[in-house]
Amino acid sequence: MKISDIVERVPWPFAPPGPVIGFDIGSRGSKGVLLTADEILTTFIPTGLYMQETADDLLARLLKQTGLRRRDIGFIVGTGYGRISLKYKDIPYQVVTEITCHAMGAHALNPRTRTIIDIGGQDSKAIKVDPATGKVVEFVMNDKCAAGTGRFLEKAAVLLGLELDELGGVALEATEPAPISSQCVVFAESEMVSLRARGERSGDQATRANIAAGIHFASARRVKTLLGRVGIEPDLVFTGGVANNVGMWHALEELIGAKFTRSPIDMIYAGALGAAVHAGKYHAAALQVGTAKPKVVAAVGSGRGKPASRTRSRDPRPAALVRIG
Amino acid sequence: MAKTQAARTRSAKRPAPSLSAPLLPIHALIEAEQKAFIETRDDVKRAGYFCAYTPPELLNAAGLRHARLFKAGTPEIVAEGERFTQSVFCDFSKSCIGGFDQTAGDPFYRAVDKVYNFHTCASMKRASEVIEQFVPTTLLNLPRNRGDAASRAFFREEIVHFRDDVAALAGRPITEDDVHEQILLFNKARRLLKKFSELRKRPYPPLSGKDFLELVRGYYYLPPQTLLAAYEKLYRKLSRVPDDGERPVRLMVSGSIMADGDRRLVELIEDEIGARVVVEDHCTGLKPFTHTVRETGDPFQALADGYLDQAPCARMKPLDDSVNLTGGLAQEYDVEGVVYVYLKFCACYGVTKLEFISHLQQLGIPVLEISSDYSSSDHGQLRTRVEAFIEVLTERRGDRVGDTVAAD
Repeated sequence: MKISDIVERVPWPFAPPGPVIGFDIGSRGSKGVLLTADEILTTFIPTGLYMQETADDLLARLLKQTGLRRRDIGFIVGTGYGRISLKYKDIPYQVVTEITCHAMGAHALNPRTRTIIDIGGQDSKAIKVDPATGKVVEFVMNDKCAAGTGRFLEKAAVLLGLELDELGGVALEATEPAPISSQCVVFAESEMVSLRARGERSGDQATRANIAAGIHFASARRVKTLLGRVGIEPDLVFTGGVANNVGMWHALEELIGAKFTRSPIDMIYAGALGAAVHAGKYHAAALQVGTAKPKVVAAVGSGRGKPASRTRSRDPRPAALVRIG
Repeated sequence: MAKTQAARTRSAKRPAPSLSAPLLPIHALIEAEQKAFIETRDDVKRAGYFCAYTPPELLNAAGLRHARLFKAGTPEIVAEGERFTQSVFCDFSKSCIGGFDQTAGDPFYRAVDKVYNFHTCASMKRASEVIEQFVPTTLLNLPRNRGDAASRAFFREEIVHFRDDVAALAGRPITEDDVHEQILLFNKARRLLKKFSELRKRPYPPLSGKDFLELVRGYYYLPPQTLLAAYEKLYRKLSRVPDDGERPVRLMVSGSIMADGDRRLVELIEDEIGARVVVEDHCTGLKPFTHTVRETGDPFQALADGYLDQAPCARMKPLDDSVNLTGGLAQEYDVEGVVYVYLKFCACYGVTKLEFISHLQQLGIPVLEISSDYSSSDHGQLRTRVEAFIEVLTERRGDRVGDTVAAD
């Protein structure tokens, strides 16, 4: 799709000088975004056992969609749970955390973004963004616990005999959301079992809708706590795979008493888009110093990384994350 | 049977931490001392203690083998400890109990003839009551209101009780002169540890945060004479390291106890991400070495005052003293960010976190808050948080340096 169709400001200040890619290798799903000077392409596959193979698969799909060749890609930025596994011999690349990438992805689409809720397969995060730059001001991440994450909703869908993508819609049909109080998936599961047992008939549609709604409210309460710690300032944007769940969208809006701003693309791609925007910046920086295909050494995440070289400090981009030499 | 178990526990021990080369001899010295503590067959009694409010001066004056028992337990040891507690006790208190388990425990703990503990928090008080089933234990009192004259007089009495108990264990008297001599010795060690830490004020510190934690580990395991000989040599060596590397991202680690073996956060920060811990305010880092004990007058009153005046635990009152100390150290060591980490369920540092965090934020220092335990199942999440925090700090640094460059 054309970038000019989805962004407000043309020319778009985040357009890369040439084709670049962002990968968001999540715990459940992997997302790829290819940006050119005027186009944006997206692709999604479930994350496989080997992160690199998953990324290779994403790359092949994106190249096929565009007809570009591997050597046309100027830069790759990897983010998400599987980011540290990524390696390329022939394409310069870098890893950036999904927190930084979701902030940039949401900011690039809507520069008024100040607060982000990102709910993925195993994490939920609240991020406060500087609307002038797209940089992270503050973030809070859930504790190691599946409550308030996509995994919790997956589990709930199975118990209710629903597909994950049906769960949110069913929840909206609820007349009286079931009171599910547990903050813990395991206990919420047993609450669900006993609620289900109380249903008048097995498979009763209304009971199922009420339980589904109860599950979304239980998750949303958890996420609301995270939001409470960074504060809510509009525009408020919902990103990550769970942003596609209408039930969660509704439960969160109702609980926090604020509306999410709609985005022009599926926000499951926010992290990958942010990664691609960073890739564009790195690519532009590399072109500026005259090496179109520089050898890039990962600073953050390389294991013996060193932070920013002071000589690159004029560069407004996150220079510390990349060392070119 | 018990022997096989013990052998397995030993072989399952964590590999040596990734220390700088000059620290490796110190590490070897500590390992040898621990081995001797467990295996040497002699009549010298072994005393163990948990808390940094315990004056080792008296244990050393009695000629005992002594060590602080502050290991992070393996998941098996933590699980053993949890048999005696609720789940909402911190993993450190569970490790203290589980370490004494006859089969799954730690041979180092089982070698101890007597345990001393000061009543700091309810979890550690309960832990010492449980441990009494396994090994003779003395629980002593520690007043909270550190400034009160009554607290000081009372604490002197507790120190004298402690002296009497230790003397009975050792089977020999401890005189005022003995105590005085030990105060001089331990003050020397404390001053030296502080000097080591101050090397980290350099833009390119010659020792890492992990290295410093290893030196503190030595303070609690090595006899002071051995320590002084080895550390003075090491200090001369490190102080001559040229200060000409690239300035790393400088972090402070603040919060609750970072037990021996609980290195995953520091390893993540330093080995995986490449930032540096240049100061820490916890009782297994710099905290016990910011003060010394008075070297004149009644040595028991000097110990009472010295330990109450030392950088306070968050269980002491007023809490402002602790909070100000943390902010002061962060500024003194010019840190770019603070990782505030507390053990889950910690009733001292978990419930006071907001006081610390908001004070640091008022000083303009970004804080990353982490609650931790001794499992390792959350490595990925921990890494994402710390890495994102470093990204934020690096961006801030870019802005700051950028501003300076622009002003040229």
